[in-house]
Amino acid sequence: MSALSVSATFAAAEFQTPSIEYSKLMPMLIVFGVALVGVLIEAFMGRTGRHQVQLILSIAGLVAAFVSVTMLAGDNQIAAVGAVAVDGPALFLQGTILLLAIPGVLTMAERSLDRGGVFTSAGSSTPGSEHERVLTATGVTQTEVFPLTMFAVGGMLLFPAANDLLTMFVALEVLSLPLYLLCGLARRRRLLSQEASLKYFLLGAFSSAFFLYGIALLYGYSGTVRLSGIAEAVSSNSGSDTLLMTGTALLAVGLLFKVGAAPFHSWTPDVYQGAPTPITGFMAACTKVAAFGALLRVLYVGLGGLAWQWEPVMWGVAILTMVVGSVVALTQTDVKRMLAYSSIAHAGFILTGLVATDTVDPDTGAVLGVSSVLFYLLAYGFITIGAFAVVTLVRDAGGEATHLSQWAGLARRSPLVAAVFTLFLAAFAGIPLTSGFTGKFAVFSAAIAGDAAPLVVIGVVMSAVAAFFYFRVVVLMFFNAPAPDGPAVAVPSPLTTVAITLSVAVTVLLGVWPTQVLDLADRASQFVR
Amino acid sequence: MNSYVPILVLGALSLGFAVVSIGAGALTGPKRYNRAKLDAYECGIEPTPQPVGGGRFPVKYYLTAMLFIIFDIEIVFLYPWAVHFDALGIFGLVEMVLFIVTLLAAYAYVWRRGGLEWD
Amino acid sequence: MNGTLLASPEVSGFGGDPWWLVVIKAVAIFVFLVVMTLFAIWAERRVVGRMQQRIGPNRVGPFGLLQSLADGIKLALKEDIVPKAADKAVFILAPIIAATPAFLSFAVIPFGPEVSIFGHQTRLQLTDLPVAVLYVLAVASVGIYGIVLAGWSSGSTYPLLGGLRSSAQMISYEVAMGLSFVGVFLYAGSMSTSEIVNAQAHGWYAVLLAPSFVIYVIAMIGETNRAPFDLPEAEGELVGGFHTEYSSLKFALFFLAEYINMVTVSALATTLFLGGWRAPWPVSLWDGANQGWWPVLWFVAKLLMFLFVFIWLRGTLPRLRYDQFMKLGWKVLIPAALGWLLLVATVRALNTEYNFDTREIALYGGIAAAALIAVTFVWDLIAARRDEESAVEHEPEEFDAMAGGHPVPPMPGQSKPALTGVGATTTAAGPDHTATEDDR
Repeated sequence: MSALSVSATFAAAEFQTPSIEYSKLMPMLIVFGVALVGVLIEAFMGRTGRHQVQLILSIAGLVAAFVSVTMLAGDNQIAAVGAVAVDGPALFLQGTILLLAIPGVLTMAERSLDRGGVFTSAGSSTPGSEHERVLTATGVTQTEVFPLTMFAVGGMLLFPAANDLLTMFVALEVLSLPLYLLCGLARRRRLLSQEASLKYFLLGAFSSAFFLYGIALLYGYSGTVRLSGIAEAVSSNSGSDTLLMTGTALLAVGLLFKVGAAPFHSWTPDVYQGAPTPITGFMAACTKVAAFGALLRVLYVGLGGLAWQWEPVMWGVAILTMVVGSVVALTQTDVKRMLAYSSIAHAGFILTGLVATDTVDPDTGAVLGVSSVLFYLLAYGFITIGAFAVVTLVRDAGGEATHLSQWAGLARRSPLVAAVFTLFLAAFAGIPLTSGFTGKFAVFSAAIAGDAAPLVVIGVVMSAVAAFFYFRVVVLMFFNAPAPDGPAVAVPSPLTTVAITLSVAVTVLLGVWPTQVLDLADRASQFVR
Repeated sequence: MNSYVPILVLGALSLGFAVVSIGAGALTGPKRYNRAKLDAYECGIEPTPQPVGGGRFPVKYYLTAMLFIIFDIEIVFLYPWAVHFDALGIFGLVEMVLFIVTLLAAYAYVWRRGGLEWD
Repeated sequence: MNGTLLASPEVSGFGGDPWWLVVIKAVAIFVFLVVMTLFAIWAERRVVGRMQQRIGPNRVGPFGLLQSLADGIKLALKEDIVPKAADKAVFILAPIIAATPAFLSFAVIPFGPEVSIFGHQTRLQLTDLPVAVLYVLAVASVGIYGIVLAGWSSGSTYPLLGGLRSSAQMISYEVAMGLSFVGVFLYAGSMSTSEIVNAQAHGWYAVLLAPSFVIYVIAMIGETNRAPFDLPEAEGELVGGFHTEYSSLKFALFFLAEYINMVTVSALATTLFLGGWRAPWPVSLWDGANQGWWPVLWFVAKLLMFLFVFIWLRGTLPRLRYDQFMKLGWKVLIPAALGWLLLVATVRALNTEYNFDTREIALYGGIAAAALIAVTFVWDLIAARRDEESAVEHEPEEFDAMAGGHPVPPMPGQSKPALTGVGATTTAAGPDHTATEDDR
């Protein structure tokens, strides 16, 4: 008997041919497919039309993916041999990420503010070299940003949907690697941008390593990387507690790094400041959404039985994050750095909602910890993208004028831009009738329902502290005399205008009439296990 | 006996041979000191001073190494797939074609951008 | 054979040898490799000598057979130099790292079927693993470290560049090599060498998977840094490459490793593509050909044939330029291997899943291929015409004789400036052929 046939039959006996539900993975497949086509366009298409084709393709891909998310809405199952969960939180967050990526891509494509766009003409040219000068003069730009962004979006879609830790790790890398690269591609102040990129990469690689060690230890504890398997092992209390605790801690470090929570936040200000501003906006909004999604899934699905252990730690992290973000932001003199610290503070506010764990709303049956975080992420994402888009408009001869002193009296030059920025700042601060208020109300009420009232007290105090530095900027813009050689407000192309309008609309809508979206978040708050 | 043990035996044998050879080379050969003999060989001219660790060399090698890793990982995935090809059936074929096409897109990009050129 | 391959980490028939048999086998492989090295060096010099109308070494021993042994002894009596700038520990470690893995790859090469040694039934193979071929690749990669470290630790320019070149070259061709194996695994359903040999009982993979075989043969020559791919040792550019600074027995170890690697890749080619120890066709009609100790003869004969090809190529082909070499590896071998792999997998799937006949597939495939060739032919015609048009417009570039601060010859398409004053005499003397050709 030949070896061939026997080993083949044997293989057939041992092998369960896996199956993949392609239709359930459609949003991700569309985004990755578009990214791949984008790579091919970069390879084969001439330079002239590439920028437009890439932009149209990316937007079309994002819209198509969003449509397919809406078509999957209501699904509650596990796909791709247990690797991917298609459930409420995953789909809600995927939709959020796709919606946020659309204005993100639009601002990235902006070319009328700066000749050639926001991205460098060639990432490989040495800053300050003759090569760079020649390339800049030709006005070319790196259109690779579009496929890179799409890969990052694809990773972000997978990150909150990953149902086993290895898939989650792959998603983490897929979303991170393009971002590291994108951070280093600024057209102006390239050294600062490259420094940001390198810092982000080194610290990101470090946190990935923590994450991976955490996976290894949890695998050692439970013998599986599947979240449901880990949950089973936790509930049956089998295995070594040391492995479980250390693994959970390391895993949490990796995820908290991505959400930018203290004490793992130190990369945030430098990277947000150095990266090209549209990338900062995209990263601040979408990465946070994806990372909180993954954190929720790990803590609720995988380690829900361990809530007694991780809750106090999350309390501590939430308090520290709110305090560090709000207090340090007070001392910032650069708009982008201030927004970076504000994003840290917001990570803290979101964490307060997260500790509500399995507290279920008796009326709607919604898991409060999940639904409030889902809503907050959507609201916060649009505020952030809008705010950073406004930052790109305030310019002087050297590019974006990000120093706060340069923003003095901006309202005299452009009342509209100042008003829009004020709206975003008010939303950040959580003023009623903005989405920020609704979001904060949701997470704080979830935290109270989850017996975390002290946390809410600190949260409210810190919101007040944060409001101080937000309104300092408002005062600066409206009531200070403009500097004589201050920056001008550039008139953007429809791309940025659309992005900002969209953000304003969502911010106001979710502030005035949030019921529909809150209901949606409530309905989407059940994890599949 | 475990099927890996014979490899260790052969390894010990060859390692011993290599170590003994190097040791013997130090004993059997003559030792005549000459300052010039200990300099780096550059066809007789004064050797260029070398920074510690060899200094800088073309980034192309790094690029080649990265490409190698990408393709080597591909091969690592291909091997078990090939061994169980019959069991995986059409599903395996389709999945692997998707995987290879994905990689080929990146390969095409690298090729078109001159990543495979040496000058 | 057996089907427990998946269930257990052992290939059946292995792992049961008593310790003394393992030692005998290990020593036999070691001796075989050393003797093969000595023989290959001698054979190379004799054969290349013949090809160049010379006699080659014929003084030491009958037919000069002991020449390589004499060379080895001579090397041992040379001074062992460690250059001043070298990183001493790594410098000494490098030849060990290069030589040891070279021996190790041979552990899984089957020399023959089951025989009786001192009344003990055993296979003529040191051991076998379910991942034997992967093991060979892994061990071979460790050898690259020896070369890189040798180049780096020498503290000298030429070895550093030579070491980098070698490693870049070896990893580039390792990809093509690895891809060429996939077809074999696909058909054999195993990565164990003994099972692959068994699977070839009714036909060698060199015939069934001819493109894989061709790709492997090219890749194995690149992988062993042999002519025409011996760029790391390009004397004109890099002196001796990574081992420039090595002398005495350390140099001998690198030499040994190179020749053992040649033997190893030849043995792997024999095992994976030429039916291993199985007798070639006319002999295989005799029933006893594949039993007892005879297969060792067929195996060694096939091995020697590959070694002869190595020597033949060295005697025939000039060395490639580095860019040509890398282009061949990355732009020809890898896409060809991947394309062939996809084809093989598709045909195999159609065969097993839909019971398509291979001939049917070949017919339709042939039609598709013919259509493709026709399309590319037309495309080439169009492209050629376009090239012609653009070539007409192309103005010859200005030739800068001191480009980059050094005197340089004109590039193709550039014309040499007319020499004033001495022009008549120089052109008449015309020692520079390229220049006069360009003038025409």
